[in-house]
Amino acid sequence: MSEVRLQVRNISKTFGVTKALQNVSFDINKGEVHALIGENGSGKSTMTNMLTGIYPMETGKFILDGEEIHPENQVHANNIGVSIIVQELGTLSGLTVAENIFLGHEEKFITYGFRNTQKMNAEANRLLQEYGFTHIKASDMIDNYNFEDRKLIEIVKATYFHPKIVVVDETTTALSQEGREELYKHMNRIRDEGNTVIFISHDLSEILDKSDTITILRDGIYIDTVKSKDVNEEDLKKLMVGREVTGDYYRSDYGEKISDEVVLSVKNVTVPGIISDVSFDLHQGEILGFGGLSESGMHEIGKAIFGASYDREGEVVLADGTHINDITTAIRNSIAYTSKDRDNESIVLNQSIRDNIVMPSLNFLTFGKTPFLNWHRIKEFAKEYAKEMSVKMVNTDQFVSELSGGNKQKVVLARWIGKNSNILVLDSPTRGIDIKVKQDIYQLMNRLRKEGKSIIMISEELMELIGMCDRIILMKDGKLSGEVLRSPELNEQKLISLMV
Amino acid sequence: MSGFKNLSGATKGYIVLIALVFLSWAIFKVLTPHNFGSPENLMAYFQASLIATVGAIGFYFVMDMGLFDFSIGANIILSAVVGCQLATSLEMGYLGLVIGCVVTGALVGLCNGYFYVKLRIPSMIVTAGLALIYESIANYIAGGIGQTLPSDMRGLGQMPGNIILAFVTFIIAYLVLNYTKFGTYTYAIGSNEFVAKNMGINVDKFKVYAFILSGAFFGAMAILTISYGSSIVAVTGMSSMSRNFIPTMGCFFGLAFMKYGIPLQAIILGEFIVNIIFFGFISLGAPTAIQDLITGLALLIIITLTTKVSKGEIVK
Repeated sequence: MSEVRLQVRNISKTFGVTKALQNVSFDINKGEVHALIGENGSGKSTMTNMLTGIYPMETGKFILDGEEIHPENQVHANNIGVSIIVQELGTLSGLTVAENIFLGHEEKFITYGFRNTQKMNAEANRLLQEYGFTHIKASDMIDNYNFEDRKLIEIVKATYFHPKIVVVDETTTALSQEGREELYKHMNRIRDEGNTVIFISHDLSEILDKSDTITILRDGIYIDTVKSKDVNEEDLKKLMVGREVTGDYYRSDYGEKISDEVVLSVKNVTVPGIISDVSFDLHQGEILGFGGLSESGMHEIGKAIFGASYDREGEVVLADGTHINDITTAIRNSIAYTSKDRDNESIVLNQSIRDNIVMPSLNFLTFGKTPFLNWHRIKEFAKEYAKEMSVKMVNTDQFVSELSGGNKQKVVLARWIGKNSNILVLDSPTRGIDIKVKQDIYQLMNRLRKEGKSIIMISEELMELIGMCDRIILMKDGKLSGEVLRSPELNEQKLISLMV
Repeated sequence: MSGFKNLSGATKGYIVLIALVFLSWAIFKVLTPHNFGSPENLMAYFQASLIATVGAIGFYFVMDMGLFDFSIGANIILSAVVGCQLATSLEMGYLGLVIGCVVTGALVGLCNGYFYVKLRIPSMIVTAGLALIYESIANYIAGGIGQTLPSDMRGLGQMPGNIILAFVTFIIAYLVLNYTKFGTYTYAIGSNEFVAKNMGINVDKFKVYAFILSGAFFGAMAILTISYGSSIVAVTGMSSMSRNFIPTMGCFFGLAFMKYGIPLQAIILGEFIVNIIFFGFISLGAPTAIQDLITGLALLIIITLTTKVSKGEIVK
């Protein structure tokens, strides 16, 4: 019988009228990787944010090793043995690597009010060596390091003091395979030391592979806790969604001929240091996939097409000869773009769902041809497309910041569906999104394709590229490294061989 | 060129700054070779620049957090008036001058910080509103007349007093910024306030501290101002705002050179550059309007060139 590390007892939390968690109770043991799964908005992050002091507690209690805890903030949570590695960047620009690692824990380096920077850097360097991150220097500004390295620094920051519980909140979606392996290694180390990892991910195969125990939440309610070895992906989907996930997940058609009609041509596009001499055509009604390693340059393709790459050379030309050199021209010519970095580049978090949906369509939502906005039409427009995308919300006045990741993505898509865009450039459209919303997005893409819309899908998930695209272009070191057509025989190994 | 790239950030920063000092000096030296830019003149420009440098160094703590202060001029005037009154009317001499100025400055900073945190409205608006109040208080204390510091009490306005005072403030700022957690938190709050809060940093408390520290430095600037200029007039109707410009410009240099890791050094040399340009125009006999026009343009160009913003990067 394993020893209980954390008892979650009757936890409830509300945001306005939204009940994020309702009377949730379960146990987490010592020496295990305990996965927490559920659809977007099921309450996983709310739960762990309360446990790590990011959100204040409302009702219920956390009992850690027999003692009730009340984390006030992340540092306080660290002090009682709980830490977190978040999905997005959790380090601060303008500080050194060492300052980031010890932020909030500087006391041990302070004598008579003055910080011993040398001692702090030495300690940080020792830790970085110990973790095997020898290329990172403690005294360097953190801004000198890329996203991946900053995540490695976060791993050190969250685990160097051997916390009893480490929450890994959807971190793997932001990492390359190499970065993921590094994270898994440290998750295993934490478990082997007798401590606990709470692991949140939407990748069910990863969950089954890396965790020992799985707790499922649905709409803020506790559903069940199961052993990973006793279940499969289908069982988990059923528990998460509350019914069998039926119908097509990916596209089921094969052998459809791609239209000869080219809607967009990319000619010799170069973005210095990122992509080099990229050329391809996009056809009507086609889903064209882009795959590769995270740093292969594929994410820049979307920006280059949308006119958002400021140093771009080469041409992006529509079928009618229009050159796309800036975002305004792209939108005016019916091109839509959703960024991988949803919160910073696609959504205005502190504005309402309505404002986010109508933003590019305001020119059409006026009283006739006057410049005055027709608020009745604006409200109806937002309501119509939010409903079409099944956004889980109180109403369209709700702030986007209150929505889960999947629902934020639905708002982004609703914006472009409302704009009736003919070319959609979707960069990582299902990143950090649960299985049900993923299915919704795949079905939407398929419907749009059938309506004659053209889609560029950029993704690090090879299976969704294989499942959804008519054609897949692979990238390596900023250049096109291969192209494959849709086929039932296509597999991940074939794509990997072209991208590494 | 690749040699320059391989240099450390601080070395690059110093090279750029010293090149700017030389360039601004060389331009005016060519235009007016006889009455500008001798070593003695340069020392005089440097001493004059120390006045604003002291204020700018303190102000850096506020600006780096993403906040602003429109009450700089009002603070300097109020602090100088109080310091002068303590030194003369209460016959406390230098002690009264120093304590009066620094404590008043710090109290003004405390008020700025307190009201900003409590009212939860932008720092620009709070400090602009409070500036009117500080001006009125200074005017009331001064009784509507100019305050003059006796000649035997102006030692801090000339060598070596001014250098010592400036050096002490620089050392304090350097230590606080680089060797205390307050310095780290200043950058953390400026970088991402939300994350900083989640790290257990009492953001409001440190913002108030930043205003207090900044205020105290403006108090020190007030000592140099009245000691160097011998008198000060307690103006009203936001006329004190004209004193905001020069410390703010120095602070911009600090922010621009933050990436090189030498913000305080950049403020010192930045203020020196500003003064070289000012005195250069005086040597040329240029009208004030032209001086202001060219100075404004020159500073915009310098800051634009030194603040390398990537294409597409959002600047607010």
